[in-house]
Amino acid sequence: MMEWFSNSQMWIALLQIIAIDILLSGDNAVVIALACRNLPPEQRKKGVMWGVGGAVTLRVVLTFFAVSLLTLPYIKLVGAALLLWIGVKLLLPEDEGEGEHIKADTHLWGAVRTIIVADFVMSLDNVIGVAAAAKGHMGLLVFGLLISIPLIVWSSQLILRLMDRFPAIIVLGGALLGYVAGEMLLSDPLVQHWGESMPHWLHQAVPALGALLVVVLGKWLAARAWHAEKALDLVDEQVTGKSDNTR
Amino acid sequence: MKILIPIDGSANANRAVEHVIASRAWLKEAPQVFLLNVQWKLASANVKMFINQETINAYYREEGMAALAAARALLDTAGLAYSYHISVGLPAEAIVQYAREQQVDQIVMSAHGQGMLSELLLGSVAGKVAQLAPMPVMLTK
Repeated sequence: MMEWFSNSQMWIALLQIIAIDILLSGDNAVVIALACRNLPPEQRKKGVMWGVGGAVTLRVVLTFFAVSLLTLPYIKLVGAALLLWIGVKLLLPEDEGEGEHIKADTHLWGAVRTIIVADFVMSLDNVIGVAAAAKGHMGLLVFGLLISIPLIVWSSQLILRLMDRFPAIIVLGGALLGYVAGEMLLSDPLVQHWGESMPHWLHQAVPALGALLVVVLGKWLAARAWHAEKALDLVDEQVTGKSDNTR
Repeated sequence: MKILIPIDGSANANRAVEHVIASRAWLKEAPQVFLLNVQWKLASANVKMFINQETINAYYREEGMAALAAARALLDTAGLAYSYHISVGLPAEAIVQYAREQQVDQIVMSAHGQGMLSELLLGSVAGKVAQLAPMPVMLTK
């Protein structure tokens, strides 16, 4: 336990895990809050509670599932590919106008189901990212899990705003995911088998290439989908003065 | 004279409204007031997979109306005509965009709105507006 604190690799992994958790957990809280909005007020609290409970349970289960799965050969190759994709996805701008066909849930179980399905999808991103950064270290994995839970439960609007205000954070996040994807790729038994004859510099080059790949691909796809981002007008009302019955 | 007052719901922002109301005393004619609240975009592509746009917009609207309520009450009491507006985007950029669209003559806003931590991390909205806006910007204390 004590050698932990002097091990710089451990600290780096720890920071990577925190960063991945922050990048990939904020949306969960937003979905939970929004999914319960259309419920009758007396059910909202219940919806949030069940949603959060389900989401946390799901994340714990997925994490341990990921751990056992990742000991199998080839799975890390799949994980690395997924992780590259998650990184690229992070860099893509949101699609305007999408989501019009999604029905808003007005009953409790509908809202809870939406939250859990959403959490499954988003947790998958998070769990793969954290598992890759933890490199099979159980303590780190549990740490990553513990960090992510408060992030699911209490959305930090400040974090979301920071990402909005400074898009560079997202680019760095994408690069980080690409980097750990590269590391994961190298740690797959199959690659390690070849790796014995690999020159040492390649072990550093692969993660760096992963980071580069995510940023270049993400930027390229984003540029194709780009349209000048304008502030969206939502409400526009006139109130004439001098009288009180204007509302 | 068209005056835009960006409102974030803070007490400081409402003091800018009070300032404009008081300025009636020395303006030749009653100013035409525009209130603007900007909501940060909080829905990413991930969120939009599960939540429809209508729900997201309803959330922005509700938050925006709540932020505007106190400022509107002040203007209602003063009997000043105004229009109010909610947009979604980056605050400083959205404020300047709206000011251009409405061709306002002046922006009056509080030098500090949001909390200290936000200002430290996200930068001053007032400072950025003053930098970007083509029209005069008056900062109230």
